[in-house]
Amino acid sequence: MKLGNLRALLSSRFLDLLTIGVVAAFLFPYIFMVSSAFKTRLDTFAYPPIFWGFTPTLEHFENIFSDMNILFYMKNSTIIAVCSTLLTILISIPATYSFARFRFRYKEGVAYGFLFLQMVPGISIVFALFFIAGSLNLSDTHIFLIVVYLLWNVPYAIWMMRGFVEGIPVELEESAMVDGASRFKAFRLITLPLMAGGIAATAILIFIGVWNEFSVAFFLTSTEARTMPTTIAFFMTHSGIKWGPMFATATIGTLPVVIFALLVRRYFISALTFGAVKG
Amino acid sequence: MSGNRIGRRRRPPWLAPALLIIPAFLVVFALAAYSAVWLLQLSMVKLTFGDPFRTAEWAGLENYQWLLFNEFTTFWASLRVTAVYVVGTLAPELVIGFLIALLLNRKMRGNSIFTAALIIPMVLMPSMVGMVGRLYFSPYGLINYFTESLTGIRHNWYGADLALWAAVLVDIWEWTPFFILILLAGLQTLPVEPFEAARVDGASRLQSFVHLTLPLMLPLIMTTLILRLMDVLRLFDVIFVMFGGGPGTATTTLPLYIYRTTLIQRDVGRGSAASVMLIIIIVSLTVLLIKLRDRIRYEA
Repeated sequence: MKLGNLRALLSSRFLDLLTIGVVAAFLFPYIFMVSSAFKTRLDTFAYPPIFWGFTPTLEHFENIFSDMNILFYMKNSTIIAVCSTLLTILISIPATYSFARFRFRYKEGVAYGFLFLQMVPGISIVFALFFIAGSLNLSDTHIFLIVVYLLWNVPYAIWMMRGFVEGIPVELEESAMVDGASRFKAFRLITLPLMAGGIAATAILIFIGVWNEFSVAFFLTSTEARTMPTTIAFFMTHSGIKWGPMFATATIGTLPVVIFALLVRRYFISALTFGAVKG
Repeated sequence: MSGNRIGRRRRPPWLAPALLIIPAFLVVFALAAYSAVWLLQLSMVKLTFGDPFRTAEWAGLENYQWLLFNEFTTFWASLRVTAVYVVGTLAPELVIGFLIALLLNRKMRGNSIFTAALIIPMVLMPSMVGMVGRLYFSPYGLINYFTESLTGIRHNWYGADLALWAAVLVDIWEWTPFFILILLAGLQTLPVEPFEAARVDGASRLQSFVHLTLPLMLPLIMTTLILRLMDVLRLFDVIFVMFGGGPGTATTTLPLYIYRTTLIQRDVGRGSAASVMLIIIIVSLTVLLIKLRDRIRYEA
């Protein structure tokens, strides 16, 4: 009996260690990337690789802020991501409410229509969009990207938020309406505050998506509206790839996203599955 | 409810929901329709990228014909690369992801920290992941350091044999957590009763895994695979940054094929025709798989 306990304890200790090892393995490439941003060029290329004990340097961060003007691209990314996210939420809330609270013909058909449009790959329409931007004189502008991203963001927001609204008992609204409130007032005073967390999570996830987006931004911008992810082209020079500044940019570019993602982690599974699976 | 009020009775019941949906509908469907019209038009002309659109010549279905039937077409080769990439990523992601989900599905301190950590690979900028991957897979990079320490061999990941597999490994790192987190959520909501009944009947752990866990998880596994399939089929950024479709056509999946045809060969018509094919492939595969999943769910 005692031996059995010991064996159970040992095997559970072993599984604990295995778990820690597995998670560490997934984190390691990211940690090594961040640490490489603080390495000199020599240390980056050392073989065998240097994992710790190197003298950290901030030269690459100084370089990207002074020489590569990374703030300009951060500003572009922020403008485009924030505007597109806010517009998405604004347009999607009424539609979400409609899908969640009303019954009408073709409802699920329309909802799936949105979902199928969300599936259209960016790369498959980006060159058509390139011609459209040209014909509208909107090449390389913030506004064009902001609007184009709505195509993917609005369906995503509707599918995400619908679950949150459906999770709020309709009786709450109905009792307010019995007390004389209009439907809109009932929504504004009761449902909206209750779904605020869901809206915030959806907004953050959309922000992350736009912030990271590459295929569309890369081909639709050149100098004025270029975003952070598409700056990778600048690191590939005739004299080889500038790895240090690249690691520094990657570190700065991924930091806000990692923080945001950890903030909304309990919504993450529904986020990944369009609300199909609750975490 | 509101029908009781005088004056509201005349408003048809579909009006309110329709009005609420109209802004979203207009924006999304207008964008989609506008892009679709342009895409279809571009796919039926001969046009060199960089030339103004008025120089385009009508070509009808010639571009599609060329892609599908011409003896020099590389479209089928890129479909083959895409298929290898899809199976090469999804199969190990599912198996490893399921195993790790089973491992995490125990009472253990710090579990929430672990799941939080697993989110990180999925939210990193793909273009930066591609760049970092390029360095890690370089001849004297991190990956070769590990393979050399373990097996004594350094591989040429940039070569035609292994480039696609380097991209596959990056995707496995990024997206196995997707399977882990979703399947873990599924495991945690499995009903308890059938497992207790099986234990009372003397079923072994393996038996209850094969006869209970797997069938109960099957619909969720299908959902996860469908979502990932959509994503893998359209994946462009990581492969583009790591290898740009090369060397040769070793990493030219369909999205890369579209880019190369349109921008490198400057053939807008054929590139757009390939884009239409990609959309058709993604939508039809997804519809098919959703139907299949619903049948499985119905039978279960």
